[in-house]
Amino acid sequence: MSGGAGDRPAAPPPAEEPPPILGTWRRLYGFVILWLLVQMAIYFAFTRYFS
Amino acid sequence: LTLVDWIVLCGSLAFMVIYGIVRGRKNRDLEGFILADRNMRWWTIGLSIMATQASAITFLSTPGQAYTDGMRFVQFYFGLPIAMVVLSVTAVPIFHRLKVYTAYEYLEGRFDLKTRSLAAFLFLIQRGLACGLTIYAPSLIISILLGWNLGITIFVIGVLVISYTATGGTKAVNHTTFLQMLIILVGMGAAFAAVIAMLPSGVGLGDATRIAGKLGRMNAIDTSFDLQNRYNIWSGLIGGFFLAMAYFGTDQSQVGRYLTGKSIAQSRMGLLLNGVVKVPMQFFILFVGATVFAFYQFVPPPVFFNRVETSKIASSEFAGEFRAIEEQHLAAHQIKQRHARAFLDGVPGADAALIASAAEVKEIRGQAIDLIRRNDPNADTNDTNYVFLTFVLTYLPQGLVGLIMAAVLAASMSSTSAELNALASTSIVDIYKRLFRAQGDDRKMVLASKLATLFWGAFAILFAEYASRLGSLVEAVNILGSLFYGTMLGIFLVAFYVKHVGGTATFIAAVIAEIVVLYCFRYTAIPFLWYNVIGCLVLIAAAIAIEPFTRAGNARQT
Repeated sequence: MSGGAGDRPAAPPPAEEPPPILGTWRRLYGFVILWLLVQMAIYFAFTRYFS
Repeated sequence: LTLVDWIVLCGSLAFMVIYGIVRGRKNRDLEGFILADRNMRWWTIGLSIMATQASAITFLSTPGQAYTDGMRFVQFYFGLPIAMVVLSVTAVPIFHRLKVYTAYEYLEGRFDLKTRSLAAFLFLIQRGLACGLTIYAPSLIISILLGWNLGITIFVIGVLVISYTATGGTKAVNHTTFLQMLIILVGMGAAFAAVIAMLPSGVGLGDATRIAGKLGRMNAIDTSFDLQNRYNIWSGLIGGFFLAMAYFGTDQSQVGRYLTGKSIAQSRMGLLLNGVVKVPMQFFILFVGATVFAFYQFVPPPVFFNRVETSKIASSEFAGEFRAIEEQHLAAHQIKQRHARAFLDGVPGADAALIASAAEVKEIRGQAIDLIRRNDPNADTNDTNYVFLTFVLTYLPQGLVGLIMAAVLAASMSSTSAELNALASTSIVDIYKRLFRAQGDDRKMVLASKLATLFWGAFAILFAEYASRLGSLVEAVNILGSLFYGTMLGIFLVAFYVKHVGGTATFIAAVIAEIVVLYCFRYTAIPFLWYNVIGCLVLIAAAIAIEPFTRAGNARQT
């Protein structure tokens, strides 16, 4: 650890552990982005309605 | 504060400190002290990441921003969830597989020692100063509103944080920030419930929202593209994305949180939890502020919220003039209150009358601010940071005031402890062990880490004691970060994605990018959120352009 990370060989990539929800990481990432879009739509409607 | 408030406040603080010390025991080696034995679960990582970002400034200033400027500040966070996804895909697996202790350690393997050292130094400068502000900002506000001595307030907060951060390291930080985030959420929820309960009879939450919306405080989304407009959807998505990438991807105070994950999956989940919860949480805090604004449509607010400035003018030659303005303000407010009631009753034309009377009140408030400035040209004429706590201290019941003060201090302590921990980790791993080639067993290194935490804690306290006013405190911290973040992010993005570019080209490009950012800061009116974009893009472009020349130079030397 004393040197840079390059001083030692990188550990071989471990088998990808799946996320605890939604089965795959791709789906989970999609969910996070979709949730952002839904929120933006809600806040947009909120702004329009109350102004 | 009443006795009950003191009991709640001191009890909460004592619990946080003792909990941190107990959870941080048994650090046998450096991995335990800096990485919490890489044993953390995703919910602890997620809440710890959120608590580290949510400083007391967030808690105090954000509702005030909604009060004065509306809810458009929420857009600032729109780029964050995207950044969480990108970092989960790229940075987390790389850092985990290389088993680095700090983000900067990775740069030596990818580039060279000088690039690693540059990034580490930039971090130490920026975060060392920001850490002082993290203590100073809430201390200033609390001391003014409660009449506490500023120096003692700073000292007490600083010592409490140092006590568990220096003894327990990252384990203590992660567990206490988890607890502190829970206290913050409970405090904010209780404040929201209290604001609704305080609304006058016959005025519900829907009515409050309608009034706030009519008076321009529900402006959560602004779709216009304008570089001069600080908060719109584009600056939030683009500038916010770059800022979040830089903060969560290159700032050791955040990287250090998810490096403690038991696995790549646990670290990723912690980041993604932040990506899911952060934006609604900010919206909620802003909404509390907008509701406080609605409350003050029925109850007269002070003409200016910073009591120090109003006290100064009350004992000056302008005292009579200021009193007259206060009376005018009160009278105008009573008219506005009648229009607000009429608006809720659906009286035709009441909305226009409400808007006109609000403009009248705003103009009178502007006169008061002008007078404060005439009395003292150096007066702090931005009272955004005082709005929420003034409301809390004036109207909330005893016990709840203590809880909210505990939440404010918890927020301050969570950010500060993560910052001190990261400063100590970087100082030991990237400077002491690497640059000075310090040798020693793990016990010696753990002791050195504790001493480094003490040093940075003392530095932060001293800086806070001497910090001068920097305008809106939220922006001060963000501007400080934005001067370096773009460059830092550029270095890491080149490392991750532009594989053919080496260390020398990246190092020279970093110096150029930093000069460009400082030029923009000094000589242009570009809002600070865009500095990250500029610094990052300039660095990547310059590194790619310089690389062929450095390669040719190396070839000649060999």
